[in-house]
Amino acid sequence: MNKGVLEKNSGTICRSYILSLLLPGLGHVACGWWHRGLVYLALLAIQGGMLYLAVMRHRLMSSVTGSSEYWFPTLMLLLIFLVIWVIALLDLRRLIQASGKKDYAQSYWQKVEQCFVRDYKGLIGLAAILIVCYVAIFAPFLARENGLKMDLLNTLRLYSDGHLLGTDEFGRDILDRLIWGSRVALGIGVTATFINMFFGGSLGLLGGYFGGAVDMIIMRFLEIINSIPYLVLALLMISLWGSSIPMLIMILGIFGLAPARIIRSEVILVRNEDYVLSARAIGASDFRIILHHVLPNAFASLLVVGTMAIGSNIIMVAGLSFLGMGVRPPTPSWGGMLQSAQRFIRSEGWMSIYPGVCIFVIVFAFNILGDSLRDVLDPFFKE
Amino acid sequence: MLGYILRRLLQLVFVLCGLTIFLFILFETMPGDPARVMAGLGASKEAIEAIEVKLGLDKPFYERYWRLVSGLFSGQLQSMTYHERVWIVILDRLPATVELGFFAMVLSLFVAIPAGLLSAIFRNSSLDYVVTTVALTGISIPIFWLALLLMLLFGAILRVLPVSGRGATLWGWSFLTFSGLRHLIIPAVSLSAPLTALNARLIRADMLQVLRQDYMNTARAKGVRESVVIIKHAFRNALAPVVTNIGLQMGIMIGGATLVETTTAWPGIGRLMYTAILRRDEAVVLTLALFIATFHMVSYLVVDILYVYINPKVSYE
Repeated sequence: MNKGVLEKNSGTICRSYILSLLLPGLGHVACGWWHRGLVYLALLAIQGGMLYLAVMRHRLMSSVTGSSEYWFPTLMLLLIFLVIWVIALLDLRRLIQASGKKDYAQSYWQKVEQCFVRDYKGLIGLAAILIVCYVAIFAPFLARENGLKMDLLNTLRLYSDGHLLGTDEFGRDILDRLIWGSRVALGIGVTATFINMFFGGSLGLLGGYFGGAVDMIIMRFLEIINSIPYLVLALLMISLWGSSIPMLIMILGIFGLAPARIIRSEVILVRNEDYVLSARAIGASDFRIILHHVLPNAFASLLVVGTMAIGSNIIMVAGLSFLGMGVRPPTPSWGGMLQSAQRFIRSEGWMSIYPGVCIFVIVFAFNILGDSLRDVLDPFFKE
Repeated sequence: MLGYILRRLLQLVFVLCGLTIFLFILFETMPGDPARVMAGLGASKEAIEAIEVKLGLDKPFYERYWRLVSGLFSGQLQSMTYHERVWIVILDRLPATVELGFFAMVLSLFVAIPAGLLSAIFRNSSLDYVVTTVALTGISIPIFWLALLLMLLFGAILRVLPVSGRGATLWGWSFLTFSGLRHLIIPAVSLSAPLTALNARLIRADMLQVLRQDYMNTARAKGVRESVVIIKHAFRNALAPVVTNIGLQMGIMIGGATLVETTTAWPGIGRLMYTAILRRDEAVVLTLALFIATFHMVSYLVVDILYVYINPKVSYE
């Protein structure tokens, strides 16, 4: 549509760069890429809103003067501003260079990106995850209190002045607690999954690649761990070793070995391929073969397994907290909120709605993202 | 076949031994002293020591391990908190979990098979979208929250079902009495939700794969009626992977039962496990863990053996 403009008029290009430097997204709009430009402007507006919130509540200043709670979100605020600026400029450059040319050859990842963008399911999931991440990062700016402040005159209110979603049995604001709870859920869920992928992934990789005795030992170990349900095992460990958050992450991270089997079967498939054989024939080391030939092929399924695993780890943390064995009570967590809501199920049933919705939404988001990634990453995927 | 079964049983014994050692080590590394916990706050040193001697905690670890294992197999192991033999404690609560699991499984198959079949046959129709979305919901919903919601809706608001507990029982089974059956509904439905969702997704995926096969067209070309093609040719082949997954689902069910039983105060072994873990009752936890593991692995074995009959292409030498 604007091909002619861009090819001939270098003035327009120059002007759009300058505009983009001033305000990301304006450059896109000037060149006629309305959609992308508006997305950048919207992101900027959201960031601006957060900045406004932080300034109005005097929390940006506190990050400089002391309160350690605020330096992380302040840093992230600045970082995200910077990232938006840089990405908008790079994106503009890429678009300008690509306009007028047409690429016929497509790499695997280009195709994946194209399919993913068309798949509304995955996009919805990703958007929901990003929103919750955003809330979790900026919880200190968004929440009005730290989720622990009690208002003993207003306990168990469905709605009262200043408490949008009501208060719990100690008069603590439920919305604030939900906001702070997102940190616990995502923090533990994501960290534990990374450890899962690393630990379980390496076990599967070693077992699958080397086979023989190594495989045998690893598989028996997995069988022992898998013979009792994961939840029961986690409950047992936590009751024995205590339930601090780092301990929770370690236990969920090390004993959530579900990725191991999947990676193992993936590796066994790849191991006997001709290209691995030829790599070995020209003298490549095991390490090199694993890094350059086996891992890239297993990457797609690692990504899918990891996405799904975050969801199940979040459910796990919530379940453990619900049983009183996860995150300890004063710390706001969604599972813990459900546990206290359960006691009021007959009189104040609404209390058990909000935290459950939060858990459900984030887990659902990870599951649909995982589903969509599985479809999209499959090289033989047809629409 | 016999050799295969024997090999698997040997493997089972190996895993169970490993599990006892693993759990024993876990309990050994536990910070805190069970004798001190049992004696209560402010107990004298002599009282704590007396309990230690009574429980055998003063012996070296290999002797205690041997005592535990031999007690386990002779059935003489005593629970520290129930003051009864562990087997009696477990058998007392077993029927509750068995009927809960059975009803959840039956319910899930009753819903999942037609749902999965229909959504595969009418692929990309609105029915398919509804089924896949509901199935994804079933996988994502925390099982204890579902139980809470059902308790809230049917117990607290509509007041048509009891909120928690087990109700009257007949010969230890509650589904034989009307009030017991009413109590069973909420736990069974919430426990069946993830199973239903998993099964429906599995059946749908397998059916889609089978429906693409050439023999489907061959059957149609022969002039076989469409309903017969679907039931006899497609469904039987799609069922095989579902059967293989039942072993996996047993694990999900036992983990889920712990949550559901604790939420709805259903007095089964899941709840027993939870309270035993809370009270650090080593004997109950260990026996129950072994029991669950044995059950889990035997169900895997049975499924693998059944698989030969379902899928004639598979044989274990």
